[in-house]
Amino acid sequence: MNNAHIEVQNLSKTYRVPQRQSGLGAALRSLARREYTEVTAVSHLSFAIQPGEMVGFIGPNGAGKTTTLKMLAGLLHPSGGTAVVAGYTPWERRPEYLRRISMVLGNKSQMLWDIPPLDTFHVLGEIYGITPTDLQQTVEELTAVLDMGDLLTKPVRNLSLGERMKCELVAALLHRPSVLFLDEPTLGLDVSMQRRLRQFIADTNRRTGATMILTSHYMADVAELCPRVVLIHQGRLLYDGLLGQLSDQLAPFKLIRLALDRANGEGEWRHRLPEGTAVLDPDPANLTLRVPRRETSAITAYLLNTLPVVDLSVENPPLEAVIDQIYQEAAV
Amino acid sequence: MMHLRLIRTFISASAQEEAAYRANFAISLLHSLLNFATGLLGLGIIYGQVPAIQGWDYASALAVLGVYLTVSALRGLMMGPSLDALAGMDGEVWRGAFDFTLLRPVRTQFLVSVRKWRLFTLFDLLLGLLVLGTAVARLQVTLTFYQLAAFLLALAAGLLVLYAILLAAASLVFWDPGLMVGWVFDSLFQMARYPVGLYPGWLRLMLTWVIPVGFITTIPAAALSEGLSWGLLGGSLAFALVLTVGASWLFRVGLRRYASASS
Amino acid sequence: MNTNHQGGLALMRATWLSWMQHRSFFFILAFGWMMQPLIFMFVWATAAGDQTVGGLTRGEIVAYYLTLILVNQITYSQTNWTVGDLIRGGDMNRLLLLPMSPLYNTLAAELAGKVVYLTFVLPITVGLALLLKPEFNLTAVSLIAFLPALLLAWLLRFLWGYALALLAFWAARADALLAVQDALVFLLAGQAAPMLLLPPLLRTLAVILPFRYMVGFPAEVLTGQLDAAQLAFGFAMQIGWLAVTVLLYQLMWRRGVRQYTAVGG
Repeated sequence: MNNAHIEVQNLSKTYRVPQRQSGLGAALRSLARREYTEVTAVSHLSFAIQPGEMVGFIGPNGAGKTTTLKMLAGLLHPSGGTAVVAGYTPWERRPEYLRRISMVLGNKSQMLWDIPPLDTFHVLGEIYGITPTDLQQTVEELTAVLDMGDLLTKPVRNLSLGERMKCELVAALLHRPSVLFLDEPTLGLDVSMQRRLRQFIADTNRRTGATMILTSHYMADVAELCPRVVLIHQGRLLYDGLLGQLSDQLAPFKLIRLALDRANGEGEWRHRLPEGTAVLDPDPANLTLRVPRRETSAITAYLLNTLPVVDLSVENPPLEAVIDQIYQEAAV
Repeated sequence: MMHLRLIRTFISASAQEEAAYRANFAISLLHSLLNFATGLLGLGIIYGQVPAIQGWDYASALAVLGVYLTVSALRGLMMGPSLDALAGMDGEVWRGAFDFTLLRPVRTQFLVSVRKWRLFTLFDLLLGLLVLGTAVARLQVTLTFYQLAAFLLALAAGLLVLYAILLAAASLVFWDPGLMVGWVFDSLFQMARYPVGLYPGWLRLMLTWVIPVGFITTIPAAALSEGLSWGLLGGSLAFALVLTVGASWLFRVGLRRYASASS
Repeated sequence: MNTNHQGGLALMRATWLSWMQHRSFFFILAFGWMMQPLIFMFVWATAAGDQTVGGLTRGEIVAYYLTLILVNQITYSQTNWTVGDLIRGGDMNRLLLLPMSPLYNTLAAELAGKVVYLTFVLPITVGLALLLKPEFNLTAVSLIAFLPALLLAWLLRFLWGYALALLAFWAARADALLAVQDALVFLLAGQAAPMLLLPPLLRTLAVILPFRYMVGFPAEVLTGQLDAAQLAFGFAMQIGWLAVTVLLYQLMWRRGVRQYTAVGG
């Protein structure tokens, strides 16, 4: 059955990047003695994923999400640490392991460009050793769910981006992998296509029980698909848990929206704000303040007493804002 | 064997890709014929002035040209397109799609060496064999079984050396994707059109042992025109095997570098 | 024609700078173009041995081919890319709008390219000359006649290439024509052999067709292979073909621009 359990301990990846400066002098010097800087892409990541789970990796660009994914897929050698996926060490690249995993890369295609998708599926069938009957059945199932009937006979170069992405998903699932790595699968697609593919991915996770890791820029992807997220920032794991509790843990803030009565002392309110308050929107009709969670009631009471408040509401900060802020601030 | 079935699948897929571009067929035909004609004419011009150069007469030089055309055709049939798909100007490494190849449960070196075929080159092969046949006729040697066997073995050695050079050149892509090694090699390979004996001594040595393009064409042709000793034949095969092992090693080192240096 | 020398010069300098960024690419191209003449140089030289082949000694053959390599590089026409691609890619529109004849743009690329290529080819040729010891039998006549022959050859090759590239106004690809032309240049323009060493049929073709006058002729002039009559005849042919090419260029340009702007390139 499916024992695709993922166990990662202290996984690290550092690169030595050669220093290159401009100019002839620097070029000549570099011939004699190369200077390197060490770039840490991933630093001591540890987590465990149960079979059948769908986990989202989030983090700013260059945080190390794709690097981690590639290490788990066996494409990269780590600098340190261990990982066991479905009972194998990924970077040993045993054929038995490679047969059980699959990867979808958002902006790269594995389809043969000039011929219909069906022909690429046949080649993949041979490479993965899928029997013709199994292959036909799988293709029929998947293309029916994705509504791809008339695409199969058109050359891939004539397909739109969304149609091509459907082909990529089918190609990745032909050999019924136990582990699926999805790197930005909805990149560049329009909103309705994103929704379709999200539905499909969730469906596949339920039906096949494959363990899935998804990285995405789009919060909608993560929010809809991944009950659990791993936040990676500057190569380090900042948060590993339920998405819903991420704000509470990492950004214990609340938003207070006020509408002020203009007739009374416009502009004076700036001097009356308590400490620790950040002004997000200074428009007196929709004054938005960010306050530490613990002090919400105290500050609310203070504001009601000192300012000509006409309307007041207390909200949770939107997930995007929280993540944005984390991305911008230095790691804790 | 599974590998043979895979090769058959690759040929089929490549044939379909090739058929998708009908316009290319006419141009390829023209290129093949022009290449064939200029090769013959070039040789004809030279031997129009002298009967023989360093012991190589028209017939034996024609044999070298025949081997060159045949080897070029075989290169364009499989090794060339496959390795180009990896390391060429529009190759996988350049486009960032090499990861997919690495994910396959099949040996990477096998995949990148046999997965693309260009069946049109069978026409070039025909032209090459035509030239070879003409050369053999003009040489007025009756081919014994042993001579033919020696020729085929020498040709195999030459093809193996060619594969080793192409694989090594392709492996360099893991260090510098921008290197146009293919183009440089193509230029140097032009030298293999003519018997190695037609070049000055130092160049002859270089083309036989250092950049063995001369080795690839001259030795099989010599098997036809003057015969090869078993020692030379054995040595050639050994040389070819050593180069292939070396190139495969370089490829593996390149893969490891890709796995540690890319992100 | 719009003349704009300042604009033209600025364009040339900018083009040169940007091409020097990619010099390794261009060097490798130049290396490829040098290969055939080098191969034939070696083969002919070995054929001559200690004596002569076709009346030329080993030293004279080396001299001829080294000159040929330089002349070929100096006269080499890139108009298929600089003009042809512009038309096919639709960028010609942009150039037609500028207060500067598109000729400037092409000339800028021409000159920039030549400087880049020669940075590579010149040292190599000089190096080879030192190694292989060519034999130059220079006379006053051959020296004086060389420069005009070279200039005319460059002009002829440039305009001919330009006119051919203008075919892009009508045809999507000129590949077939270019392939045939490459073959003819190889055989008749002095690469496979200097004209005097060609067999009778090819020699006649070489003398009649314009290709020899684009490359081989100046090299033959410098290395003193031609007598006075052949020299005069060669110049006459160069000028004659130049006239034909200019007419061809003008015809194609006028017709082509009309077609291009009418259809909406």
